[in-house]
Amino acid sequence: MKRKLGSFASALACLALTTGSASAWEPSKPVEIVVAAGAGGASDQMARMIQVAIQKNNLMKQPMVVSLKGGASGAEALIYMKSSSGDANRLLIAYSLIYMLPLSAKIPFNWRDLTPVSVVALDQFVLWTNAQLPYKTVKEFADAAKSANPPFKMGGTGSKREDHVLTVFLEKKTGAKFAYLPYKSGGEAATQLVGNHTQSNVNNPSENLEVWRAGQVRPLCVFDKERIQYKTKVTDTMSWNDIPTCRDQGVDVQYLMLRAMFLPGKVTPEQTAFYVDLFRKVTETREYKEYMEKQALKPIFLTGKDMLKFLEEDDALNKSLMTEAGFVAN
Amino acid sequence: MEAFGLLVYGFSVLLTWKTLALMMVGLVLGIFVGVLPGLGGPNGVAILLPLTFTMDPTSAIVMLSCIYWGALFGGAITSILFNIPGEAWSVATTFDGYPMAQQGRAAEALTAAFTSSFIGSLVAVLLITFLAPGVASFALKFGPPEFFAVYLLTFCSFVGLGREEKHKTIISMTLGLLLAGVGMDTVSGQLRMTFGLSDLLRGINFLVAVIGLFGISEILLTMEERLALRGHPARISLRVVLKVWKELPQYWVTLLRSSAIGCWLGITPGGAIAASFMSYNLAKRFSKDKDSFGKGRIEGVFAPETAAHASGTSALLPMLALGIPGSGTAAILLGGLMVWGLNPGPLLFVEHKSFVWGLIASMYLGNVVGLVLVLTTVPLFAAVLRVPFAAIAPMIVVSCAIGAYAIQNAMFDIWLMLAFGIVGYVFKKIGIPLAPFTLALVLGNRAEDSFRLSMIGAGGDMRVFWSNGLVGSITTLALILLFWPLISSAIARIRPAVRGGA
Amino acid sequence: MPETEAEIVVEDPGAPAGDSPALTTNRTVEIVVSLLLLALAMLLAFDNWRTGMSWDSTGPQAGYFPFYLSVILAGACVYGIGREFLPRRQTSETFVTRDQLRRVLQVFAPTLLFCLFTQWLGLYVASFLLVAGFMAFIGRIAAWKSALTAFLFSLVMFVTFEIAFDVIMPKGPLEALLGH
Repeated sequence: MKRKLGSFASALACLALTTGSASAWEPSKPVEIVVAAGAGGASDQMARMIQVAIQKNNLMKQPMVVSLKGGASGAEALIYMKSSSGDANRLLIAYSLIYMLPLSAKIPFNWRDLTPVSVVALDQFVLWTNAQLPYKTVKEFADAAKSANPPFKMGGTGSKREDHVLTVFLEKKTGAKFAYLPYKSGGEAATQLVGNHTQSNVNNPSENLEVWRAGQVRPLCVFDKERIQYKTKVTDTMSWNDIPTCRDQGVDVQYLMLRAMFLPGKVTPEQTAFYVDLFRKVTETREYKEYMEKQALKPIFLTGKDMLKFLEEDDALNKSLMTEAGFVAN
Repeated sequence: MEAFGLLVYGFSVLLTWKTLALMMVGLVLGIFVGVLPGLGGPNGVAILLPLTFTMDPTSAIVMLSCIYWGALFGGAITSILFNIPGEAWSVATTFDGYPMAQQGRAAEALTAAFTSSFIGSLVAVLLITFLAPGVASFALKFGPPEFFAVYLLTFCSFVGLGREEKHKTIISMTLGLLLAGVGMDTVSGQLRMTFGLSDLLRGINFLVAVIGLFGISEILLTMEERLALRGHPARISLRVVLKVWKELPQYWVTLLRSSAIGCWLGITPGGAIAASFMSYNLAKRFSKDKDSFGKGRIEGVFAPETAAHASGTSALLPMLALGIPGSGTAAILLGGLMVWGLNPGPLLFVEHKSFVWGLIASMYLGNVVGLVLVLTTVPLFAAVLRVPFAAIAPMIVVSCAIGAYAIQNAMFDIWLMLAFGIVGYVFKKIGIPLAPFTLALVLGNRAEDSFRLSMIGAGGDMRVFWSNGLVGSITTLALILLFWPLISSAIARIRPAVRGGA
Repeated sequence: MPETEAEIVVEDPGAPAGDSPALTTNRTVEIVVSLLLLALAMLLAFDNWRTGMSWDSTGPQAGYFPFYLSVILAGACVYGIGREFLPRRQTSETFVTRDQLRRVLQVFAPTLLFCLFTQWLGLYVASFLLVAGFMAFIGRIAAWKSALTAFLFSLVMFVTFEIAFDVIMPKGPLEALLGH
């Protein structure tokens, strides 16, 4: 029996052999990127881009695995990260749900339980309508929505989340009423718009990109204070930059969503430093830059104190929006 | 015939020794992950995806689609041999496949499963080849009311089928629906039935429940009886294969119906899971010998497998054309496409012709090569049944636990699996049917969500389910199926009267 | 492949005796299960009532369907219990005999222990213990054969999941000791 255990041990030891032992910390196991959304959504696409960028440019020795944990509207991923305290081989690709979900559904989670690594991009929201509908401007659309009976249907991802919040603020600013339909993903919201089951949605640029290029949907305005910077033509006639801001169109609603990387709680500063450095390199790759332009994301790189400041402000903003929209559970 | 020319072009890209070799590797890997518990199609493909990052797109598609085929084929193996379905759509295969294996007809059941998978996928690939553009616009017609109508149809095809007492079927189905509702409600964003436990937040995973209900409970039941397994040693059974193939033509109606159901539900985004259940139920409903189902009838393997693979294959179509994956595995392939910078959507068919047709051609080749490969391995898998039960039982338990754990990386799920094992054991013994429970657990949430979205859209007006030809006819069909026993007895009453009058 | 037509016959010396005394009947178990499900139905009904079970302007609330489902479940259970108490019932079938229960526990108890061990020792060690123990004590297979099979099985699982496919399973002190 003893000999058997011995051979077991040596066999395991052989298998466990890993390369090199530099002074700085480095992951010794495959690194898992946890996506708090379904397959094909904006977070998933971004995680895959990071995976490819790291692999093609040899930024890390260990492979990177994308794991989808979109259960319970993403709460699954949050709880998973929270319970992985101390495990530095796991990263969350976070978006605004880290502020909103604990408020709307009383999920026992606080982003301060995790270790912030870096903010890697900011995502826009655009008001879209079906291209077969006659509305060319926000005003035409809002006027039609105001007099519509039954009310216009607005598609979005999830309930009491960013899309829903935007819809509520759109209602407040225009006086129109929408029937908000919470779908499971941005992709589904896009197809449902194309299929004429909804009149509009507030998808991220990346989620509606392909159907826009196919001429099936029409962007009305972008929910930001300035236009999207990319001027390359996306369709035959328009670039992202040609979409006016909602504010210029008389509907002052703005919202930007963070895309940030988090480690679980209780990791060492060396481990955090490794990932900060890794993602700084990622944002310098060609893959990252192409991705930003194609998906019309705002490139940004924040880390350390800057990131904390950003998160605190963003948290406060989201909290006030959620409260005003009446989405905070009591 | 533009499609044909493009297809020939697709084949010309693929027919090289290098791609054929990649195909074999992909298929073997695919079967392997399909058989391994807890990997199954979606996880397996996800894990193997990075292997293809460094390849050129064509090789990568071939490899990935062959992994996909292999995983589809592999899923049937554990269902038949051990009563452990690896994917939602393999559940219906266990109903008759496992009894066949117990009767020593494992090789026959496996051959039936593989052959019907082949037929189902072939029909679906033909559909993809010739109808691709039209099908995409059909899929777009599905809004919430249409989805609900489809789920209703699946449930209605089920009710009133079993020999079990009615109140037990009701208990089973309501319990399944209730458990499906545990966790977060997508429509309102509220938590329900979680009692503050964060482990329940995720909801009760369907596969965890199924692994317990079928796998673990089966081991308990087997142990209780005399372990006098009688089976033929699995020889390289060309004879078995030919025997099964000879039987095929007499089931042409079932095969055709199941392929049609599979294709239809496959291109309905998200409908793929319903297909195998629905076609099993319909095969049973229209069979002259209803009682032999569930006791090892070969038709009970043909029907769900044909539909499952027809839908699994045609599910690739909405994925390519709309970017909406019809199944878990298709969702991972979607991820793969995006890695190569190919964004699925309406323009993919226009802008990346060679990619799309290469993929379609690789479906044909992968399917044929896959069938040959799995058929030759039948004896290998059937031989597993010769291993002493005392050795295989604990290994199955471990496999079940790995499977349950791997789905969500949660220890809680292993305990849940064990609990479902006991539930399955007790339910089977006191005659509460498990099939309605599993069906409800898979489709319960989707049915509820689509119903509620329809209600929001229609302002609470139920007439939305008859608001256009498509949804109206599906809903009506569902109701006809629900009341079929009444209707058929009414017809039977009228018919003699007519004959008497003539 | 050996060209034999003989059937495989697996002998089973420890099979349950046919005349083993019955422990409980299906009728009793059915009543107990129905009562348990009734309790569950009531618990869920209460929780859903708390969540909100009405039909407001935009359709049903989160608790609407689950609430009525629990009511239906409760109804079916009450019906089942009531039927069991009707006098016309003939004698019920045996649910389990003593021998059968013993055999079922022979599998169930190790499985339960396996789950517990997985929590503390990690899955691979637990799987080694389960396979080896089960083969040796219940299958009465020679100890060295059992241990070897169990070791190989656990190792293959380890290599497949942890190394080849990066699927991370629960691990315990032994793996930690070996640096994994």
